[in-house]
Amino acid sequence: MPGPEGDLTLLDDVSLDVHAGESAAILGPSGSGKSTLLGLLAGLDRPTTGHVRLQDQNLNELDEDELAALRGRWCGFVFQSFHLVHDLTALENVMLPLELKGDPAARETATQWLGRVGLHQRRSHFPNQLSGGEQQRVALARAFAVEPALLFADEPTGSLDHANGRHVSELLFELNRDEGTALVLVSHDEELAGRCDRRWRLEEGRLHA
Amino acid sequence: MRRPRMLSRTAFRPWRDGAFRLLGTALAIAAFALSSVLLLRAELNERFDQRTAEVLGGQLVLDGSRAPEPAQRELMDAVRTVPAVEFRTVLVRDEQTLLVSARAVAPPYPLFGRLTLAPERFGTEYTADHGPPPGEAWLAGQALDRLGVQVGDTITVGQKELKLSAVLKREPDGGAGFYSMSPRLLMHHDDLPATGVIAEGTRLDHETLIAGPPERITQVRSQLQDSLRPDQELEGVDDAAEETLSPLRQLTLWISLSVLLVALLCGAAIYLASGERVQRHARHAALMRCFGASRRQVLDDLLGREFVAVLPASLIGSGLGVLLVWAIRRQMEWQGAWSAGPAVWALALLAPLVLWASFALPRLLRLLRTPAGEVLRAGGDHTRPALELGAALAGPVALAALLTQSWQDLGLVLGILVVLGTVLPALFWPGLRWLDRRSARWPLTLRLALRRLSRRPLLTLPLLAALTLAIATLTLAGQTGTRLIDDWQGQLPDKAANYFLFNLLDEDKPVLRDWLDKHKGEPSPLYPIVRGRLTRIEGTPIREAVTKDKQDSEEALNRDLALTTAEQVPESNRILEGEWWDADAGPGQVSVEADIARSLDIDPGDSVTFVTSRDEVTGTVTSIREVDWASFEPNFYFMFSPGSLAAQDATWLTSFWLPEGSGRRLSELLQQMPHATLLDVDALLERAEQIARQASGAAFLLAFVLMGSALLVLGAALLAGQNQRGLDNALLRILGARHALVRRVQLLEFVLLGAGAALAATALVLAALWPLGQRLFDGALPISAWQLLPLAAIALITVLGGLLSRRSLAQPPLALLKAG
Repeated sequence: MPGPEGDLTLLDDVSLDVHAGESAAILGPSGSGKSTLLGLLAGLDRPTTGHVRLQDQNLNELDEDELAALRGRWCGFVFQSFHLVHDLTALENVMLPLELKGDPAARETATQWLGRVGLHQRRSHFPNQLSGGEQQRVALARAFAVEPALLFADEPTGSLDHANGRHVSELLFELNRDEGTALVLVSHDEELAGRCDRRWRLEEGRLHA
Repeated sequence: MRRPRMLSRTAFRPWRDGAFRLLGTALAIAAFALSSVLLLRAELNERFDQRTAEVLGGQLVLDGSRAPEPAQRELMDAVRTVPAVEFRTVLVRDEQTLLVSARAVAPPYPLFGRLTLAPERFGTEYTADHGPPPGEAWLAGQALDRLGVQVGDTITVGQKELKLSAVLKREPDGGAGFYSMSPRLLMHHDDLPATGVIAEGTRLDHETLIAGPPERITQVRSQLQDSLRPDQELEGVDDAAEETLSPLRQLTLWISLSVLLVALLCGAAIYLASGERVQRHARHAALMRCFGASRRQVLDDLLGREFVAVLPASLIGSGLGVLLVWAIRRQMEWQGAWSAGPAVWALALLAPLVLWASFALPRLLRLLRTPAGEVLRAGGDHTRPALELGAALAGPVALAALLTQSWQDLGLVLGILVVLGTVLPALFWPGLRWLDRRSARWPLTLRLALRRLSRRPLLTLPLLAALTLAIATLTLAGQTGTRLIDDWQGQLPDKAANYFLFNLLDEDKPVLRDWLDKHKGEPSPLYPIVRGRLTRIEGTPIREAVTKDKQDSEEALNRDLALTTAEQVPESNRILEGEWWDADAGPGQVSVEADIARSLDIDPGDSVTFVTSRDEVTGTVTSIREVDWASFEPNFYFMFSPGSLAAQDATWLTSFWLPEGSGRRLSELLQQMPHATLLDVDALLERAEQIARQASGAAFLLAFVLMGSALLVLGAALLAGQNQRGLDNALLRILGARHALVRRVQLLEFVLLGAGAALAATALVLAALWPLGQRLFDGALPISAWQLLPLAAIALITVLGGLLSRRSLAQPPLALLKAG
């Protein structure tokens, strides 16, 4: 990206692949480019050089709407700040990606997923009526409800206290195992990263295994 | 000296910020509305007082059957006075005689306004600020026609010969009594003794017209009041204004209410936008405190920059307001210095800043009270909305007090505002909740759009209320302004009478018929007129049948009424009770107008007795009628069955339509019937229409400003939610939504908002039109193309909302990741 003293290289010669059922962690200090890498992998950004293939599709060849459709079909997301839609209830938040996919059974599927994360009784509550841990569990349900091939988790426990963080991370890995998704986890938490099958460290724009 | 330089360098930086630009625009609009109304009101008040004084002849008038006592004259030494004597006299010219209403005046008559004269009967008019000089007289045009005289001739008033030096067209204090239509003769007061009319037993009306500084007038009035003789009465501007105060008071209240609504809406926009400003200032202020700045320094820096930056907006708005009032003064040809005093000017300039301070300052000050560490740690909202809103409303309440200037009106205006501010949103809430529940099965885009409204009631409801009110006000102002006049004119027959002619004699009827045939006029029925005074109801004298207060206040008991007969119910009348008489009905039946019947407690079956110039006339009430006084047809309080007035001295009244043409036709008619009086209805109608158009123009302009203010609030609300909206849109994209879907959701949100406001506004307008329709059009609602304005408003809100929120559509999904 352009900078005040010329072009700035955020990621340099980064190459990785993640397979179904695998969990991969990308570690690195703050500002190392983890979120940028995540954005590239999820088709939210385009590399200056190189390519990203997702489900055998070269993302460089797709336009914005095709990328969105691809994300909706194959990807799930869990964010550090949960990013639930404040105007929607817990159930409606989980239904959202299903409806965007055109799933006719969105409500039933979402209800089941909320049950799986233990929040069936809170389905009519709004995000501001839920604790941080509960919001993240709703986000997990939302992410897994579309049966993604790939789940991107950006510091999923970063905004939670230790107890809630443990609970959420347990749930994340359990669901990941049960659903057979490929999990790409971005974090600076060594303990969390240690639970993944593979680990990379991003330093000075380069990935180190 | 570093601080002022830093201040000047950074003073205009806030204008780079969208939130500040919106705040500045809101302030400019509020400044425009407040300054224009304050200055215009000062002009209107002075002109109204002046106009009333013009019509009255002075700020105070002492009226009596004899000249004022010397002691009373002494009391008036410190003010300007004009003696005026009015009397009836007969002018004779060859074999023609004419009863005129003569008035002898002395300088400095007229105290207010100017006389309109003409050098000859149909000459070019000019104005004069003095009366006729001694030895001369000015005479009304009708009198010239009847006497067959012209300017330059000599006329004799009593024993005094006077040279006719001008035609008198209009006097500022000529009065408008329908039944006091003797032509006017104006002469100099010094010529009065020589006329010989002042003699024992002569009926004269002595007036002293008084003018001066308001405080002196008040003092003189108080002193004269204590010295009045039984034949004297005092009338001031306030007394005369009472009769016409109601429409002006309503107009003033409407203007005050509208301006307050504009101020409140602009204040709401300032409040929302300043919330954004506070967020931006928060970190800056906290860092300054970390670096050792005192609260005072932070305050000076923040507030200083904000104040310097808003000042141009306030001044520009006030300047535009001044410009508007200047343009109005020019159009209305208002001469002289501006009526607003220093206090009003100061208020016009400061009021917008008061508004800014009340809506923006509490939030900024709150920021200073928050510990720096808390701000830097939390990074969130540092405001207490309820407290700040309460403080914010103090400003508008103070403005309301200044605008209304009376506790009664302040209470009324604040009451209306509270009702509008609470009832409207409260009415919307159940509907919004119902829609929210029903929308669970709606298509995704529509549901998401609705949720953005229904799940944010604190923002949505006031916004809906503001937009509804603005749309309804604009529609009503546009429609009822001139439209009612146009519709009313349209409802009148094509050839509705434009002249009234009365005091006709029997022998005038064929003359009139021939003249109308010649000039293609359209006649209306002829009504016999007998002057009579009501003396008994059910045989009981009035002084026993009616209370003293009613006797004093009911005008119909204190003057001769015009009694008439008719075979059929006039078109402008409607029978409410009883029955009209048959074609072969005999004399002695009477139909009474509804208001006067109610006032005097007259019912069908009662008898009413009048005393006339001949004797008494008694009739039995057979019906009560509703009269459309606005129909511009001859209308009567009491109408008798045919033959009831056969034995009385009667003249005739009629009306007719005359196509446009020369005034000489009318002179020709009056020469043939010199005792008749002609009333030009067109002139009255034109004047009423002119006033209505001007008032409606002002109301429409205000409504337009109100609409602009409501749209500003929309802009501010969008601005306040911009970041969240952008993140929501980015989230939708991340979760797989196409750009078109996100755009649809966003547009649908504004369509729903606009449609909700338009629907509610239409309901409000129809609810307001229904009583108007009932009152003016016998139930027919004046539906018009203006009803489409709410639809146009939907389009406007959608387009504006779309434009203002397009940045949030452009938010890249990656921003969401970066935001955590």
